[in-house]
Amino acid sequence: MLAHFFESYGFSTVLVGFVKEHIQAIKPPRALWLNFPMGRPLGKPNDPEYQKNIIRSAFNLFNSSSGPILEDFPDIIPVRNGRMGYALPVELVMKKNEIGDVDIILKEVEKEIQGLKQAYENAVAYRGRTTVGASEMSIAEFAPYIVSFLKGDIPKSPRKGLGAIPQLKLVVEDLQAYYTETVTHRDGIDDFEKIGSWFWEETKAGRLILALEAVSLESENRVLRQIVDMSLITPRFWSEGPLPGSSGSGW
Amino acid sequence: MVLISEMPAVGRGFIEGLKKYNFDNPSWANPKPSKDRRVSIVSTAAISKRGDKPFSWLANNHRVIEKNNLDLVMTHVAVEYDRTAWQQDLNSILPIDRLEEMAEQGEIGSVSNEHYSFIGSSDPIKMERSAQEVADRMKKDAVDTVFLVPV
Repeated sequence: MLAHFFESYGFSTVLVGFVKEHIQAIKPPRALWLNFPMGRPLGKPNDPEYQKNIIRSAFNLFNSSSGPILEDFPDIIPVRNGRMGYALPVELVMKKNEIGDVDIILKEVEKEIQGLKQAYENAVAYRGRTTVGASEMSIAEFAPYIVSFLKGDIPKSPRKGLGAIPQLKLVVEDLQAYYTETVTHRDGIDDFEKIGSWFWEETKAGRLILALEAVSLESENRVLRQIVDMSLITPRFWSEGPLPGSSGSGW
Repeated sequence: MVLISEMPAVGRGFIEGLKKYNFDNPSWANPKPSKDRRVSIVSTAAISKRGDKPFSWLANNHRVIEKNNLDLVMTHVAVEYDRTAWQQDLNSILPIDRLEEMAEQGEIGSVSNEHYSFIGSSDPIKMERSAQEVADRMKKDAVDTVFLVPV
């Protein structure tokens, strides 16, 4: 749709996209379909030639004298079972009565965060950037903020103009980014399925967020329930089925 | 390959909802010769400068990304796509360095001073006003070519 707008304003446009049926439906003037996992429109991180091949293939569509034109990028980056990102196993669900002592959980997560600190700093130094910080809270504040929700509180948002629950979502993503930025650099891995399995199935931070999911599901707060129902806190979008106890409306 | 029919209802409903619009008579702008093109990137990854207002779920506005300030964060609401690529390499979703290299090699003319970001979970029809604002900025920057990059 944006392609149509910009083209109508006099700009030549080309887009890359992941969902071929979608591209065929909206008929942008020029489009290159990528049989890739979502989130990777330039294919491979830190592979400049691969990335430029995609751009060149897209820009070659400017040679066409009429459209709409849709071509396939010839290379395929396979995904597992048709899913486009890591998905929590359906059976990996925490129940509220399984959470245990939240103060112990907090201490465990804080210890884990501290244990990754040097590796995280190495990753940031190597890359010259970090994506952690959307919440504008310090790393040390992430776990306590999430734990306050586990205790049944809806804390005051520290940010003007942003509610406590939207802020919670950013904190959850910042916490995850702290871990995944660290492990991709420290262990030299670029397999999002492995990275997802590690974070969600092995780390204390992953369990903390699963506990948050359990509490949110039974919360009296409608927005908190809704973000879990819509799979906006935990990666269940590509799971085989909905989170038990949720409305299942997303499936 | 992802098929709409195999998506969970959340994604399926959003994408199928776009079919109500008519795209049968699209605009067509003739491209400039490649060596004369000035290219800007429009991302729908909900990235923005650190400190910008986060994108809300159904935001139809945009954020401006200046090429001399690439300290960016992502505030997309969706979690179904991979974020580890962009964490490792900004060019995975915003290929500014690749375009600059192509400009140096003469494959394109130049790269714009600004790039732009929207959130892909919003109804794009409602982005028209913001798209016009972006177009006005791009015209001031002598941009003629737009590379649209989703996540």
